[in-house]
Amino acid sequence: MNMNIGLSDILLISPMIALFLVSLIPITAKVLRGNREQPHAVTLAQALIGIVIAIGLLIVFGGGGKTAFNNGLIFDGVTQWMGVIALGAAGAAMVMMYENPATTGKQFSELIFLAMSSAVGMLILVSAVDLLMVFIGLEMMSLALYLMIAMSHEEKLSKEAALKYFILGSFASALFLYGVAFIFGSTGGTNILAFMDSAAELVQTSRLFLFGITFVILGFCFKVSIAPFHAWTPDVYQGAPTPHTAFMATAVKTVSFAAFLRVIATKSLIGSDHLFDILQWLAVITMILGNTAAIIQNNFKRMIAYSSVAHSGYLLIGIITAGVSDNGAFGASGVIFYLLSYALMTLGAFAIASMLERSENHIVNVDDLAGFAKQRPMLALCLTVFLLSLAGIPPTLGFFGKFYLFNAAIGEGLLWLAIWGMISSVIGVYYYLRPVVVMYMKEGNAEVASHSLNATTVTTVIMALAIIVMGFVSGPIFSAVERSLF
Amino acid sequence: MILSSIVFLPLLFALIVAVWPKSNTIRHLALGLSLVEFVLSLALFRQFDPNSAGLQMVEKFMWIERFGIQYFMGIDGISLWLVLLTTFLTPIIILGSWTSITERVKGFHVAMFVLQTAMLGTFLAMDAIFFYVFWELSLVPMYFMVGIWGGARRIYATVKFFIYTFAGSVMMLVAIIYMMYLTQEATGTMSASLLDFYKLKIPFVGGTFFSLQTLLFFAFALAFAIKVPAFPVHTWLPDAHVEAPTPGSVILAGVMLKMGTYGFMRWVIPLFPEASEYWAWLFMLIGTVGIIYGALVAMVQPDVKKLVAYSSVSHMGYILVGLFAFNAYGMTGGLYQMLNHGISTGALFLLIGMIYERTHSREISKYGGLAGVLPLFTIFFFIITLSSIAVPLTNGFVGEFLILLGTYQAEPVFAYFAVSGVVLGAVYMLWMFKRVFFGEKGELVKDEHHPLHDLNAREIAVLVPLVIMVFWMGLFPNHFLNYSKASIDYLVNNRSNYNLTIVEPGATSTQHAQGGN
Repeated sequence: MNMNIGLSDILLISPMIALFLVSLIPITAKVLRGNREQPHAVTLAQALIGIVIAIGLLIVFGGGGKTAFNNGLIFDGVTQWMGVIALGAAGAAMVMMYENPATTGKQFSELIFLAMSSAVGMLILVSAVDLLMVFIGLEMMSLALYLMIAMSHEEKLSKEAALKYFILGSFASALFLYGVAFIFGSTGGTNILAFMDSAAELVQTSRLFLFGITFVILGFCFKVSIAPFHAWTPDVYQGAPTPHTAFMATAVKTVSFAAFLRVIATKSLIGSDHLFDILQWLAVITMILGNTAAIIQNNFKRMIAYSSVAHSGYLLIGIITAGVSDNGAFGASGVIFYLLSYALMTLGAFAIASMLERSENHIVNVDDLAGFAKQRPMLALCLTVFLLSLAGIPPTLGFFGKFYLFNAAIGEGLLWLAIWGMISSVIGVYYYLRPVVVMYMKEGNAEVASHSLNATTVTTVIMALAIIVMGFVSGPIFSAVERSLF
Repeated sequence: MILSSIVFLPLLFALIVAVWPKSNTIRHLALGLSLVEFVLSLALFRQFDPNSAGLQMVEKFMWIERFGIQYFMGIDGISLWLVLLTTFLTPIIILGSWTSITERVKGFHVAMFVLQTAMLGTFLAMDAIFFYVFWELSLVPMYFMVGIWGGARRIYATVKFFIYTFAGSVMMLVAIIYMMYLTQEATGTMSASLLDFYKLKIPFVGGTFFSLQTLLFFAFALAFAIKVPAFPVHTWLPDAHVEAPTPGSVILAGVMLKMGTYGFMRWVIPLFPEASEYWAWLFMLIGTVGIIYGALVAMVQPDVKKLVAYSSVSHMGYILVGLFAFNAYGMTGGLYQMLNHGISTGALFLLIGMIYERTHSREISKYGGLAGVLPLFTIFFFIITLSSIAVPLTNGFVGEFLILLGTYQAEPVFAYFAVSGVVLGAVYMLWMFKRVFFGEKGELVKDEHHPLHDLNAREIAVLVPLVIMVFWMGLFPNHFLNYSKASIDYLVNNRSNYNLTIVEPGATSTQHAQGGN
């Protein structure tokens, strides 16, 4: 394979380079200072500046369907939107890391380094069109995550979570790689663009290819916690330090769905009715299971974890829609828009959980929220906004996310999936309302952590405002997403 | 801009109340603001042309262009009175809650104003998604109102209320999206405008359940029936009413239930004419069962608030029957009864709240002989009771009479059964009145340590406007019906070919006479 690397390739991957270089600053500084941490605020500021630069570079140089590194990476609307959402979510999660008791330990520089490395992996993942590139992105992102989850000092749960995530993550990677091998065997290549147009036919004619694509999809189902491959999600989400959970639930999920979308958009679904049927059922099972399991959770993080499983089910509807349509842009933009709203509201919910943690081993239960509305009316209002948005009540962004997603599905004739989605949202309302009930209607003494949590508070308020304001201007945003995909 | 101001001013008021620094003047502020809103809504009459059936004072612009979703408001003879009912009841409720809401006063008024915006928006929105946003938004403040200021089982009641009504409306959302695609098929561009929906001729194959029109009809009808609430999906209502604080009950009975019957008039009947006609028997049956069932259950309630709550099920059943009679009498009666029920039941809940504040009990058996102790209260209660059981000269009579007349014309069988509700209504209300106000003095009334005080000036000020309305609407129904006549006639006569037009400002009614014929 002859590889010509030109300036344009470098410019296109400049966001990754920038992120990587910035990620080195805190640990280099630590080495130069004789293994002493620089002030955490400085580290955080560096990381956020890095993220802003990366977002800027992604917007300026990316887009327009440019490819780099011999068609290994593509920079189109999906890359840009998903990349920006993931980086933004990563930045918000880092703000939480700065102030959460479980993550403000001695190794903050290393933590930020890992988070930034993971973000580099994410950017590779959102732009990868070669299945091996996808694999590299996935692994780069995940390896850093395994360490991040285990980094909490005391907690046994977090070690357990890390191990669980590591084993199941490796299992998913292995499945994925296995699938890639089959695809390579049947098409002689691993580049999605190469077999894009023939995928529908290949699925019908080549068993090998069908096997391959199935395993690739299964690998993704593990990563994005589609039932019944979701079993790790609640444990890992609960065990990891809350900011890391926020990071996983939003940034990681966004980019995993981006890669999933790219693979599905190869039109392999159009070719295989079986694959199509199976994915539909998986979506239904995921939505119902996630929502019903969340009802019985008392632990706040676990509840949101199950809710995120349910949201994966909704997103899968969008993925299927994009997969069966000749012009996937409509379904795909539904997915992107949904991820945008999902990232904001889930981050917000975890930010509140993070603020309620008073020590490293503190467990936040729903009942701990009693009296929160009296103690911190502003934050309680924010949490209400996040929960109503998660439940899909207008006029929040979450409602419009569901609206666009189901709209696309109905437009493609997947009416019954939309109906299932609606039925499971009704189940969802039940548990999303519970924290609101406890906050506003039960007496109690909920307090946020004693040390100041200004940065997290500011982020939370901004996210809540964004959910309301972006709800009203969701139309132009959606159109912008859709236009960028052509 | 008048409609937008009417809808969104309360939202602004909510913000003003939320940031108002002095907590002891919040009630005065809120009352003042709600009166401003009421006066503003009266200005509708200056512009409203009663001879036109078209959509007036329209404001619209594209909101979400990709899907043809518009910011689209308009008013006609059907929504006019519901808007006024909302703005009229709000100051009364705020004044009525003066002493009953003592905790988190600021939050209460914020919720009240947000709710007002949501309800007014529901009545005025002419775009399906725009409508849906208001429709669902109204759940949120009501949820807080019951959940925070309600009684002992408030959490159970409020969650039940929320989930019932939310569950009802999600299928409506699917149906709306589906209809947006139908507009795309029909005209090439997607639209969520109600006017474009009216133009859709959705296929209906008589008898088969799975004809498209039937399915869409039921998706909408379920949402509205739960809100009404029609038997057998009414069970959230007694819970919500009993647990809600007085102002919550008043707004719930007074306005929110009307969102359901309004939905039938504005959406279900003109959008799905054949299906409505085909299934009319079902809804008349549901309405009739509701009338009798509600009345019978009300009769045996030991709790006076629960009694009134079940009487709502009965009264709302009338409205449903009237609407599905599909003639001018039934429809007019249905609309009139919506207003009547808002006023009489609202007043009943206020009265119950007043006596509850004094005795902290609503159990009928603990009262008795109240007439001798609280004469003024008794008079007011009596007038409202008469209105509730539809005695001639009161507003209730006009509504029930028209409904029964219309029902008799359409389906005499249902009229025979529905009329029994009139008798039953008189039985449970008068029997309750007798037990509470006459006879032996009950244990609460006798209590020497806590002598009961009759109504004070504030309470009289709360009740007088309602009593005035009872007689005004009872004696001069034409003052009100004239404004709705054109719209209702048009709906009745052109149901299967409903095509609401937009009346340009300044145009004379003769140019738009198509609405009137």
